[in-house]
Amino acid sequence: MLDAHAVTLSPIETFILNVFLLAIIGWSMWKAEKSLSPGSDAMVMALIGVFAVSGRVLLDPLPNVQPVTVIVLLAGIHYGAARSTVLATSVALVSNIFLGHGIWTLYQAAAWSLVGISGSLLSERLTFSGSLAVSRVAAFSVAAAFLFDWVVSLSALHSFGVDMLLVYIISGIPFDILHAAGNVFFVAWLSTPLSEMMSRHSTRRTVVRETVAIRS
Amino acid sequence: MSDLVALIVLFAILTIVGGAGRYGENRLKSLSVAWVVFLLVTFPTLSTEWARMTSELVDDDEDPHYGLPDIWEGKQVVCFNFPGENAPGGYDGGRHHIDSDGTKFLTDSNWNGSGACVGGFSGFEIGIELLDEAVVVSGGDFAYNSTQFSFGLQIDSIGGVEPCDAAPCPEDFSSGAYWGLYHNGQMALVGISDLPLEDDSVITWTIETW
Repeated sequence: MLDAHAVTLSPIETFILNVFLLAIIGWSMWKAEKSLSPGSDAMVMALIGVFAVSGRVLLDPLPNVQPVTVIVLLAGIHYGAARSTVLATSVALVSNIFLGHGIWTLYQAAAWSLVGISGSLLSERLTFSGSLAVSRVAAFSVAAAFLFDWVVSLSALHSFGVDMLLVYIISGIPFDILHAAGNVFFVAWLSTPLSEMMSRHSTRRTVVRETVAIRS
Repeated sequence: MSDLVALIVLFAILTIVGGAGRYGENRLKSLSVAWVVFLLVTFPTLSTEWARMTSELVDDDEDPHYGLPDIWEGKQVVCFNFPGENAPGGYDGGRHHIDSDGTKFLTDSNWNGSGACVGGFSGFEIGIELLDEAVVVSGGDFAYNSTQFSFGLQIDSIGGVEPCDAAPCPEDFSSGAYWGLYHNGQMALVGISDLPLEDDSVITWTIETW
């Protein structure tokens, strides 16, 4: 019997495949959102949730570079604390079905929820004249990377004492830096289109109302 | 440490060059790509250097790795202990540590003695193979002379230091000294050429007298 799937990919080839798959999901999401009627915020939440889970799973080969933190932050800005918490928790749980579920899922859900809640509380400061202030969001996403990683690091207390926590956090700083750089990357490349998409269906506020109006 | 400084300088140059000119969203896009690519490419070096810089000494005296950098937990290590006044140049005043790529880091100046440990190895099954690799990694600083006997290999000197440099060895053999071999804190029952290793073995050479 022919084994048509006996193809072994190198790590680089696998990564390229994953990026291609993520691009397909992102593009499809973008097209699908266009056909939604205004106010379909629940559907948009589901779409960006799928994109966030896909992004985290498919970019897993890269250490700590994933779009979830930025997506949850944007959800907090556009949809508020409650719905960003739902998104954060769902993304943590579903992505960990693929990546590994354990006590850390709780901390990841809490940390991403905290990012979303912070985004909600600071939404006035992270927008300017009704549009997303990309540079401020980028700066906040750097802080969010450290916030997320340090909250998740608290899960290490289940394995060792408080005295080792600081050592553990300090040893992880290179990973925090990479998370922060990845966040800036996702803010630079994704925040404007995602923000427009969320705004078109936001019942909480219309952050990029002017931008959308000009383009339409 | 020097690699870490070089990385930070390169990152700063990249940011200054990439960030020059008027602000714009496209500039942030290109700069963010440069940052992510730079950090991903240099991440192995960055994380290794950071781990060395922030490593601490194992303080559990029940652990064979007691007193060694915690980044060597689960790895194989070779230690050379010298009498203070007989240590090879650069290895006095405490215990020095050399990582498996030859990088020196984290000197324990409170260590009661002089010498060095070369560690971070894995996969060695026999003591002599690990010892030879440690000698190579240290740049030959701990090169040894040996004599092959029917019962195994006897180490005559390490780093140019002979046991009788450190202790009196009268011609009547009423007393003497030798390079003693310890495996995980216990006197080895076989010679280095026959010593089976574990994944986290610590072998230690120290001058013993009788």
